[in-house]
Order: sequence, then structure tokens, then C-alpha cells
Amino acid sequence: MDNKKTWFVTGASKGLGLTLVKHLLAAGYPVAATSRNAAALTEAVGNHTNFLPLQVNLADDKSVAQAIQTTVDKFGHIDVAVNNAGYGIGGSIEELSDAETRTSFDINVFGTLNVIRNVLPFMRQQRSGHIINISSIAGITANTGWSIYAAAKYAVTGLTDVLAQDVKEFGIHVTLIAPGAFRTSFLTADSLVITDTPIADYTAIRASHAKYASMDGGQQGDPEKAAVAMIELVNMPEPPVYLLLGSDAYSRALSKLEQLNNAFKATASLTKSTDY
Amino acid sequence: MNKVWFVTGASKGFGRILVSQLLAQGYKVAATSRDAASLAEFSGNDFLPLTVSLTDENSVKSAIEKTISTFGKIDIVVNNAGYGQVGALEEVSDKDARENYNVNVFGLLNVIRQVMPHLREQRSGHIINIASVGGMLGGFPGWAIYCSTKFAVVGLTEGLREEIKEFGVKATVVLPGYFRTSFLGADLSVTESKYQSVKDSIQWHADLDGKQPGDPEKGVAAIIEMTKSEHPPLNFLIGKDAYELVPEKLTSIIDEIEEWKELTVNTVF
Repeated sequence: MDNKKTWFVTGASKGLGLTLVKHLLAAGYPVAATSRNAAALTEAVGNHTNFLPLQVNLADDKSVAQAIQTTVDKFGHIDVAVNNAGYGIGGSIEELSDAETRTSFDINVFGTLNVIRNVLPFMRQQRSGHIINISSIAGITANTGWSIYAAAKYAVTGLTDVLAQDVKEFGIHVTLIAPGAFRTSFLTADSLVITDTPIADYTAIRASHAKYASMDGGQQGDPEKAAVAMIELVNMPEPPVYLLLGSDAYSRALSKLEQLNNAFKATASLTKSTDY
Repeated sequence: MNKVWFVTGASKGFGRILVSQLLAQGYKVAATSRDAASLAEFSGNDFLPLTVSLTDENSVKSAIEKTISTFGKIDIVVNNAGYGQVGALEEVSDKDARENYNVNVFGLLNVIRQVMPHLREQRSGHIINIASVGGMLGGFPGWAIYCSTKFAVVGLTEGLREEIKEFGVKATVVLPGYFRTSFLGADLSVTESKYQSVKDSIQWHADLDGKQPGDPEKGVAAIIEMTKSEHPPLNFLIGKDAYELVPEKLTSIIDEIEEWKELTVNTVF
């Protein structure tokens, strides 16, 4: 294991990000981590000589650029960038306003793009690095009541897929991590925005949200094991582009992808009728 | 035919051909463009041209209200407006990335948000979102932003289909392969790149322009045909290239998932 790899982790004051940072520090890695609130981050992580807490507004390209420069100034380089910050947003498309939708994309998508845009010049120069985008199983298969969240996470899946090929020539790896349900604070009010203007007509959404709320605390995924898997991933010579985490993610993704391929066959003749 | 269609981005490409075929077949059509003057080739009582800024929700709202006051209802909504953005991710500015999202994602959401109250009330309707094969496969060097907008459309349509099922309203996302429209020409936003793979991709696509295998007249005919189905598909590929590329990509993802299964499933308590 190369203990000198420097990690940059966004959204690290709770959940998977926090668990990952603790594991990394315990294993002796230098870690820069971001949060909207640096004090909350320091309180959650504690003081370590190898730890650089950063207060960052991920939606602001300049704030991100500054955080990355500060990290390079302190540790000399960034080897692994983990785009972990994100939050769930629930409601029908009709119930969520344009502003609520855009705010969720600010963190879930544009923040990720800002980090990639600003970290790549350093990684390209050093001809190495690993960008890890934490998406979700919702970025591969959508659930009732989470259309906007699915949109944001599918977007992350798509940009990761393209990016992985684009930066290969520089020796940079890119991985999409799609976790299933992990026992973090994700399903609590802290990490979740649910529409505050529900429309009574949408009964399927209310039922779906109630089901999710009842799952909280009983998720099968162990965040400690997820953190270990992520560290293992980075130490592999040929890491995957798509990495699911959790047996639920595994079975849901497979059944979705197989279902899609079967469904395409049903419309094959119409699909193939459109060439000159 | 008494079905009423609402089509965005109707001044060129798929949108323009769709309006033309629909009017020829006797449908009623409301069509949007940034400037309704660009829709001057169409006329008649069955046609309603609308100047709309899709990123302005109020503008979308009044367009939908005008359609309903003119034709009495909306049956089929086609979110067609959109454009391509190519350039290495680090070279495309935050501003340019957001602009691509404004049209391809947030404008489309404005239409859905504003039309849904009407479709819910009438307990029928069909929302058709035009994405791209780039909404399911990322094998296009330099198209990260564009593909991410189209992946977003694929994801939100899948969610939408479930959330509106109880009202008898349907949703379909169309994933065209390469069609001979102005998509790769004047409509494409290009960010000059220093990446060799991206430069090659930009050149490859410039060379393809005008030689795309897909006939947009037939692509549009297939979309109209699809809407006549009692059970329209959630994901509708159009083009032989789409039919080859997408399943091939999904199969390669399945293979990768299987290869890494152990690491995946060992993360549970």
C-alpha cells in the first residue's frame, strides 16, 4: 500500500465521506476534506497533523479552485479526488420548484464538475491520479418519488463514463461508485430534502417516501466496509469505471440493465426502420 | 385526428420535421421556438406558433395556457429542444456547462412542471423527452457535459413514468443515434481542446456531419408511430446504430459489474 497518496474528499462532515476520512487518517494518508462548515468538519474528524479541513462552497468554481490550490500547497499534490458531497431530493417533478431543482444540481452535479475542472490540471501534470465520483444506485435505476435525484445522479454516471476515457491518455483513473442503501444519515432530514408543497394526487410518491423512511437504520450496507472498499479500489492497478457497493445495488443494477436490453428487442423493428 | 401536440424547439431538426408530419396528418400542433417568426413556414387553424424562452418558467406557463385556450387540451408533449456541447470537461467553463443544462434539462423540467397539472386533471397524456444514445453510453470522447445532460433526461423520465402512472399519463424517452440534422453543424457548441482524444473526436464528428446514417423524416415517423401504441416503451431507441451501440454498452457494464462482484457484495453488515 502506498501510504503517501494524498486524498481530497468533499462533503466529509458526515456519512460515507466522514467514515472514509477517518479510515484514511487512521491508515496514515494525508487528507484534505471539504464541508460547508469547517468547524463542523474539525469537530467530527478531530485534529490530525495529516488533516486539512476546508470550508468550501462547491457550487462556486472559485471557492473550489482555492481549496484545491490550498491542498496542493500543503501536501504537494493530490492523488485521489473523491466527489462525495450530495444530498437526496424527493418529490414529483411538478412538486419541486425550478429553484429547488437547480440547488440540488449545484451540489450533486455542478460541484462535482467544479472539482474535476480544477483538479485535472494538477493530475494531468503529474500524469497520475484517481477521480472517484460517488453516485448512487439511483444513478443507474430510478425510484418512484426521486426523479430529480435520479436526474442528478444519472448525470454523474454519464459524465464519469465519458471522463474515464478522456483522461486515460494522462494515466488518470476515473471510477463511478454507485452505493445501494448504506446505514448513514442519508435518509434523515439532515441529508434529505422532501418537497414542502406536496400535491395530494401523488399517492404513489407518498407511499414510496414512507417506505424509504421506514428503512432508516436498517440499511444493509456498512459504511465502514464501503470506506475500506474505496481504499482498496485506489490501490488497484486497473480499477473499474463502474463499481457498485452493496448486494442490493448489485442485484438492482443487473436486473435493470438486463430488463433494458430485453425491452429494446420489443421495439427492434421500429428502431431499425429509420436509416436512409 | 383530434390529438393535440405541444412540441419544443420546432424551428429546425427533428422538431421542425415533426411539426410538418403532424400537420400533414391532421393533428393540432402548438410549437415553440425562441422566435415564432422562425416557424413562419407553417400556418392554418391547426397550428399555433409560440415564442418561448424555455428557461423562463413563466414563459413556458403562458405558452401551455395559450395552447389549452386555443385547442382545449394537450395530449402529447415533445421536449425536443436541446443542443450538443463538445470539449474536454476541464476546458468547458462552469458557465457553458450550466448553459447546456439550462436548455437540455432545466427547460425540459419547466415544461413538465407546467403541463402536469393539466395532464393530471384530464387523466391522460404522453410526455416524450428527446435524449440521445449519449444518454445511456458515454463512448463519445469530449462529450461529458452533453452526455451528462442526456443521462439526466433518461433518469428523470424513468422516475417520471412511475410517478405519473396512477393518472394514466405516460412518459417515454427517445434515444436517437446519429441523424442527419443540424445537430453536428451550426447548432453544436464546440470548446477548443488541447486533449488529443477530444480533438480527434471533434474532427471525427465534423467529418460525419452530412453523412449520418439516420433519416430524420423516418426517425420522426417512428416517434409518431410509437405514440399510437397502447403500451409505449419507457426507453425508445431510434437508428440501427443506436440498436447496436446501446445494448453492447449495457452488456459491457454488466460484465464489469460481474467482474467486481466480490468487492461489491462484501460491503454489507
